[in-house]
Amino acid sequence: MAEFSFARPSGFRPLPEGAKPVVSLRGVTKRFGKVVANDGIELDIYPGRIKALLGENGAGKSTMMSMLAGRYKPDEGAIEVDGVPVTFGSSKDAIRAGIGMVYQHFMLVESMTVAENVLLGQEGGFFVKPREMERRVGELAGTYGMEIDPAARVCDLSMGEKQVVEILKLLYRESRILIFDEPTAVLTPDETNRLFKALWRMTEQGKAIIFISHKLEEVIALADEIAILRRGRIEGELDPSCIESKADLASRMVGKEVLLEVDREPAEIGDPVLEVRNLTGLGLTDVNFEVRKGEVVAMVGVAGNGQKALVEAVTGLVKPPLDTVFIMGQPWRKFFAESTWNRSMCYIPEDRLGLATLRNLNLVDNLLLTTRKGFTRKGVLLDKKRAERNTRRLVEEYDIRPGRIHALAWQLSGGNLQKAVLARELYRQPRFIVAEQPTQGLDVSATEEVWRRLLAAREMAGVLLVTGDLNEALQLADRIAVIYRGRILGMLPTADDDTPGRIGPLMAGVVE
Amino acid sequence: MWEFLIPLFAATVQSGTPVLYATLGEMMTEKGGVLNLGVEGMMAVSALAAFVVSQATGSPWLGFLAGGAAGMAMGALHGFVCITCLGNQVVSGLALTILGLGLTNFLGVPYVGLRAPGFDPVAVPLLSSVPGLGQVFFDHDVLIYISFVLPVLFWFFFRRTRLGLHVTATGEMPGAAAAAGLRPIALRYFAVIAGGFLIGLGGAYLSLAYTHLWTNGLSGGRGWIAVALVIFAFWRPGRAVAGAYLFGGVMAFQLRLQAMGTNLPSSLLLMLPYALTILVLILSAWRGRRVEGPAALGTNIEPEG
Repeated sequence: MAEFSFARPSGFRPLPEGAKPVVSLRGVTKRFGKVVANDGIELDIYPGRIKALLGENGAGKSTMMSMLAGRYKPDEGAIEVDGVPVTFGSSKDAIRAGIGMVYQHFMLVESMTVAENVLLGQEGGFFVKPREMERRVGELAGTYGMEIDPAARVCDLSMGEKQVVEILKLLYRESRILIFDEPTAVLTPDETNRLFKALWRMTEQGKAIIFISHKLEEVIALADEIAILRRGRIEGELDPSCIESKADLASRMVGKEVLLEVDREPAEIGDPVLEVRNLTGLGLTDVNFEVRKGEVVAMVGVAGNGQKALVEAVTGLVKPPLDTVFIMGQPWRKFFAESTWNRSMCYIPEDRLGLATLRNLNLVDNLLLTTRKGFTRKGVLLDKKRAERNTRRLVEEYDIRPGRIHALAWQLSGGNLQKAVLARELYRQPRFIVAEQPTQGLDVSATEEVWRRLLAAREMAGVLLVTGDLNEALQLADRIAVIYRGRILGMLPTADDDTPGRIGPLMAGVVE
Repeated sequence: MWEFLIPLFAATVQSGTPVLYATLGEMMTEKGGVLNLGVEGMMAVSALAAFVVSQATGSPWLGFLAGGAAGMAMGALHGFVCITCLGNQVVSGLALTILGLGLTNFLGVPYVGLRAPGFDPVAVPLLSSVPGLGQVFFDHDVLIYISFVLPVLFWFFFRRTRLGLHVTATGEMPGAAAAAGLRPIALRYFAVIAGGFLIGLGGAYLSLAYTHLWTNGLSGGRGWIAVALVIFAFWRPGRAVAGAYLFGGVMAFQLRLQAMGTNLPSSLLLMLPYALTILVLILSAWRGRRVEGPAALGTNIEPEG
């Protein structure tokens, strides 16, 4: 497979004197309940330049862009287009103002051709002439150096080609500001190179481009300006020509300061609960590590470096190669073949309202989802009364608001839902816990609660913590594994003083 | 041999035609993203409407249009429930069938056994004298000739007109259609009502051309066949023709078999076309993994925010 190898066609482009921003965010703040997703954002977007927006998952990138694209309204502050404050009632208003967004999930009519999709709603005339439409779209694609067959059906296209169709739709509507939300996530390296060339071509024609990503090398290779977003704030704006290294950028992205601390008493270390030996495959390469009872092992890395595959293999969602994963000392196959596994292992997924809970079930039923132990009568009938009593007790113990056991999962806030998931999983007295981004999007008090519970769970279990939050790893873990492109580049004991400094470079793939 | 086959094929075309109208009507509806399981009831109501109007005015053409209008009205009702009130499309369609069949049986009582002016075969000059083919295809009533051009028009509408593209987009991805500045709600109403018109014409054919007199239960499950044929046809008009004639062929064949007298019980023979439909559906589901219906079929457009 081709490597990602994009280089700026014309070197670094300094911001011209007196350039006027085409779009500005002025003190924009957006809250969802108690969580501040965006906090006083100040950002200028200039025509003919690529602004990269770098940030971890949950840093507030998508919220910010959704406001620009007219999907959310800011709570405070204003968006200015050409220096004039605007309010967008819907995405149509944003499109009219010349702001177009390429979402990660494409909005395309699969059964229609490329040309029909691009020209949808602007065909002109009652009868359509496919040849004519294809010619117009072909010309448009040619202007920006994009290769696509306008007569091909969208369902036959690759992800990269579908993305080109989305871009053509915006270009045809003469959008001046194009927002790309992690456009390379679905692309091959080759397609990424081609996309970047097209983006560069667009800026040469005066388009402003906002490029959202958490892939450092892409940002460094492409951007004219880099804005780092962390915990809803602009953490700083950089000129890519003065970035010292990828490691420097990585540590600025994940941040250094400690926001929250918990006391971590050492726990008694017991037998291994998870062993991964020479795991190669599923996008992972030669992964080796173990988790023992009484310890927390954190897996950190920039999202999309193989964490997902590892978690899925460990939790039994996908089958790993033979003799690579051992849980409670048993081979994967044997462990998941026996029904005892659901009493000894628990999984706290990132996707709380989907994988972890069923949105339209109440807390009692959601509790019963993963455990029926003690809630059955004669082996078949559910003892709902007893489940309700236990749920009530858990709701009180974990202070799950609004405190009603018959509240439906979707009615709970993120923090309370996470507490409910935690309460449910810990109720089962697991011996091995896999926690994936357990505090993402939670406020401080909920985060602290989750942390305390996970630390307390070391009494009975070993914990594999997959997180993008460096502080969380440093606070909870005994050892931190840094994963990069499917490899574990380092296993660092948290107790070492130089560990925090070493994580950043490793996350960026820099090994001295 | 040919003496048997040629009349059989001619009868095939005749009994396939009402199903073809209804299949195209349901296809139109589904292309817009709305599933309409009320075809059976709609055909029954429009058959009666066509019969009554034709009898009262003496004009089969007015009757034919009245059948279409009845289909449109019922389509609009389905649209109101599903598109405006966001009701469940399956439930609304089933209700429409029950309503339509009940209403027809109730209102049709005084007309049972009566005759109304209908369409009689008109041989097409020259073409009808082509040996074999002429008798099979060109010695029929006018409505059958209309049904020959209908699939072509249908294809042209969806491939070559702006409105057709917009309806397709609405059925596939209403969100994309809305983002492109189209009005998916209006487009869906169009699809349901236009489809209802075609379904209504299929119903009218039953009472005005297939028979010229009124009996209860005239639709005889053809509406359900149409729903099944849309899937068999992969939402393509050309395959709808094949499906409708296949059904019509078995229908005509088993009638002939009964007339000739066999030892097989007639109830088993009557079952044949429907059993075939099930078989054909199984086969098309098997081979046609890749071909899927309109992506948003059966889902309602939830209002934003």
